[in-house]
Amino acid sequence: MMSWECVIGLEAHVQLSTETKLFSRASTSFGEEPNTNVNLVDCGLPGVLPTVNKNAFYKAIRFGLAVDADINQTSLFDRKNYFYPDLPKGYQITQMELPIVSGGKVEIEIEGAKKIINLTRAHLEEDAGKSIHEGMDGTGVDLNRAGTPLLEIVSEPEISSAKEAVAYMKAIHQIVTFLDVSDGNMSQGSLRCDANVSVRKKGDEELGTRTEIKNINSFRFIEKAINYEIERQIDVIESGESVTQETRLYDSIKNETRPMRSKEFANDYRYFPDPDLLPVMISDAEIEEIKATFPEMPKDKFVRYQSEFNIPENDAQIISSSKNLATFFEECMENTKDAKLLSNIIIGDISSLLNKENIEIIDSKLSTKNVSELVNLVTEGVISGKIAKTVLEETWDSGLSPIEIVESSGLKQIDDDDEIERIIDQIISEHPDQVSAYKGGKDKLFGFFVGQIMKATQGKANPASANKILKDKLDN
Amino acid sequence: MDDQTVRTICYLSRLRLDDEKSKKILSDLDTIIEMIDSLSSSNTENISPLYNPLEETARKFNDKIKSDNNKELFLENAPESDENFFLVPKVVD
Amino acid sequence: MQFKTIKEINAGLVSKKFSAEEFIKDTFDLINKNKVLNCFISLNEENALAKAKKIKVSKDSHLLSGIPIAQKDLFCTKGTKTTCGSKMLENFNPPYSSKVVDALDAAGSICVGKTNMDEFAMGSSNETSFFGNVHNPWKKGFVPGGSSGGAACSVAAGLVPAATGTDTGGSIRQPAALCGLTGIKPTYGRISRWGMIAFASSLDQAGPICRTAEDCSILLDAMSGYDSRDTTSLNLDSTNTFADLNKPYENLRIGVVDEFNIDALNRESQKLFNESLKVFESLGASIHNISLPNINQSVPTYYVIAPAECSSNLSRYDGVKFGHRSLEAEDLESLYINSRSEGFGDEVKRRILIGTYVLSAGYYDAYYKKAQQVRRLIKNDFEEAFKEVDLIVSPTSPSEAFGFGSKGTQDPTELYLEDLYTISSNLAGLPALSMPHGFVNGLPVGIQLIGNYLEESMILNFANRFQQSTDFHNAKPTFEGF
Repeated sequence: MMSWECVIGLEAHVQLSTETKLFSRASTSFGEEPNTNVNLVDCGLPGVLPTVNKNAFYKAIRFGLAVDADINQTSLFDRKNYFYPDLPKGYQITQMELPIVSGGKVEIEIEGAKKIINLTRAHLEEDAGKSIHEGMDGTGVDLNRAGTPLLEIVSEPEISSAKEAVAYMKAIHQIVTFLDVSDGNMSQGSLRCDANVSVRKKGDEELGTRTEIKNINSFRFIEKAINYEIERQIDVIESGESVTQETRLYDSIKNETRPMRSKEFANDYRYFPDPDLLPVMISDAEIEEIKATFPEMPKDKFVRYQSEFNIPENDAQIISSSKNLATFFEECMENTKDAKLLSNIIIGDISSLLNKENIEIIDSKLSTKNVSELVNLVTEGVISGKIAKTVLEETWDSGLSPIEIVESSGLKQIDDDDEIERIIDQIISEHPDQVSAYKGGKDKLFGFFVGQIMKATQGKANPASANKILKDKLDN
Repeated sequence: MDDQTVRTICYLSRLRLDDEKSKKILSDLDTIIEMIDSLSSSNTENISPLYNPLEETARKFNDKIKSDNNKELFLENAPESDENFFLVPKVVD
Repeated sequence: MQFKTIKEINAGLVSKKFSAEEFIKDTFDLINKNKVLNCFISLNEENALAKAKKIKVSKDSHLLSGIPIAQKDLFCTKGTKTTCGSKMLENFNPPYSSKVVDALDAAGSICVGKTNMDEFAMGSSNETSFFGNVHNPWKKGFVPGGSSGGAACSVAAGLVPAATGTDTGGSIRQPAALCGLTGIKPTYGRISRWGMIAFASSLDQAGPICRTAEDCSILLDAMSGYDSRDTTSLNLDSTNTFADLNKPYENLRIGVVDEFNIDALNRESQKLFNESLKVFESLGASIHNISLPNINQSVPTYYVIAPAECSSNLSRYDGVKFGHRSLEAEDLESLYINSRSEGFGDEVKRRILIGTYVLSAGYYDAYYKKAQQVRRLIKNDFEEAFKEVDLIVSPTSPSEAFGFGSKGTQDPTELYLEDLYTISSNLAGLPALSMPHGFVNGLPVGIQLIGNYLEESMILNFANRFQQSTDFHNAKPTFEGF
């Protein structure tokens, strides 16, 4: 069996979270009625001209600074010429010669080992519209997305497995979400990638012929598509044929890649500087302004969470690495004090609920108000930790406030010592054998009594009081 | 221009030359190319291209929405449309 | 009413010799009597009369208030079709108006119609228009020049006092010259290109065509000024050339370009040119010989850059969102190819093909990039020259108006040489004016003044003084053969 290695380069397309488009002031909001977020410029009407969105540049620069790249303070827009119905002008405005960001590096971690993936460049470009094929005779064109700003981040071909590719895309996702460069919402297409894949025999210097898999839009599909393509290329070569350089699409239903129907004939994009757009200059002052408003990154949060909130390293690691969890955690901390309990609930019960439904916390019914309220109920001794889990599940399902849930379903903790004492007296009198065994030295039986108390109170007895009273009774 | 170049250029431009006219247009193109070939006699070593006579830079706009919904107006201007979309013959891939 | 200047019409309106409504009515009578010229593609009679009815002109009104104006049919006019002289846009109704149209409307002028032009402004004789040839009012069957041929014809025939044009390689100045008029292409960026249908974005610039330099300055002041919708628009206030007409520009140094080889012109043209230099001297100017070493590369440079930009600018005409769609469009490819092949005329096709060729892989450096480098050399030449002189003078075009079909049918580059003297100022982005300075074979010819960047005031001021001491601009066409 010959041994093979693969060489992968990724082009990540990140939709920037701007209010308006890259070259027009139409809205970028997602999910609107077709062709309503379209103005004269987006429609490419005769006589219209593009103008430049400052915020798109600022976001691109923020990304560049975060990955230690060079910012080109003079950058240029070029036209990429090709015909397609969802490309209104017959060319896409992109950056070829002088991109806003050059170089940079991203660190990934695979099973504890760290690796640096170098970036070639990151450039701004406009997205195309959408072609709708289903439910009509021909093809329908919706230009809502046309002109939405994209940052195309191009890696060097330094990725050597599908797993690394996923780790790389996750790292990009983390950076762009923390920087508020993008909402990172993959199901809405805010982050997608093209993968350039080739294989060669181990030890070979020369690169094999590559194929490009277009438009992959989930971490899972990245892994599957690349693995499929690696296997396919190896099979092709081992059967004595050679790989064709081509563009392929990943079919997630069949789990295979197949060549795109060839609109590739004489593919010559005739890039040239867009004569409608003068070069864009970014001043030193603008870069300083961007640096001054740089958001806190995962590494800093990781350190701060431990020092400021005193939460365990593992909790800090998990929460700080996700923009959504970190934001949630920090917002909860505005209304509660018990960071440890909060982080414990987030990485424990909340994470398992999220995993079970495979959603992000912002897509759930959980509000920071409700979770901090829940933490406070426990801290103040209104409910026990055990009841907290039940209440969490209810607020997860219904979105109701924990206080309401506790009050309406009588889950409130029993804090009345007299009542607890009465229950304990009852239990002691019902279990004379265990009492004498305990007194004879079987200390472990203490737990048995606690269990009986919780059973009798459906877990509502204040555990501290119950423990104290029980101990007094049994030891005297 | 050889035949292959002409075919490629026509395809990239999405233009077809009618048979009767194509000979004339092609010979015109050759004449024009001959004329522009004289550029090669200029020495342009170390000269940067001048893409725009204004050697200025673009101003940038603030990221605030300023747009109307022109959907009906746009779709009315389209050769073929339904109530929501511009329509073209079925596209595969 | 015919042949009046803006200043004369304004005087009549202010003194109530006639009302704006009366004047506009007469204008349409005149236009309708002269349909044979074919200078308009569409008329705006109803709206024009409605607007005229409301206008009251006093001495405090804008000089353009109530003045009829013809718009070149590549300025988008909301609600009025805008064809760009092409079958492709035969039925295109823009949902918006261009900056130039809005600005002239706001000044109170009245748009009477849209003028004929070479298709997508590509041509020097108005013969590439889908809507037919335009006659030169001086001689039937002769071209008015192009691409703003309809604009020049409408003013030369005395139908309107002013028309807008656009100039990518001489499309304002050459028709002005061939029709005995004054026209100015200002500095690139002076007038917003918003709503002006693009031919070659880095070369296109709008400007006025009128009977006099004075009228041109009135129009230019109204058309110019910064527009945030065009990143190539200069961040400057509107020009103030009208007020500067009376400013003294003393001892101007005027350059004659060695490389333009005036001695090679026919004897009549040479004589006119030298006589005009004498008039310049009588106005206190001094004449100097200057060299623009790279100027002879202007034509090839232009015929790389302009087609390259146009090939891309015209890609949006694909039959999907607006414009002509072929009835034979069973799939996407045939939709594109048939719509474009049917919608565009031969000259447009030629230029798209050349543009595609010079931008394509393997040719980009040798043609496109090379041309942009030579363009810088040309600009540098001008910069050097303007250290020595204030204005540069040349003929506007190599010859007077010619008959339909007599130039460029065998060899298209023959017609491209019409632009020999005009295109270098587009490549460099400099302001340049043409004004009448005599007749050759009974037809008017023009002389061109090129100024340094932003020196429109100096150019118009000097042209105005020239016109105060000459009479060529007052000559009325003979309508020979009509």
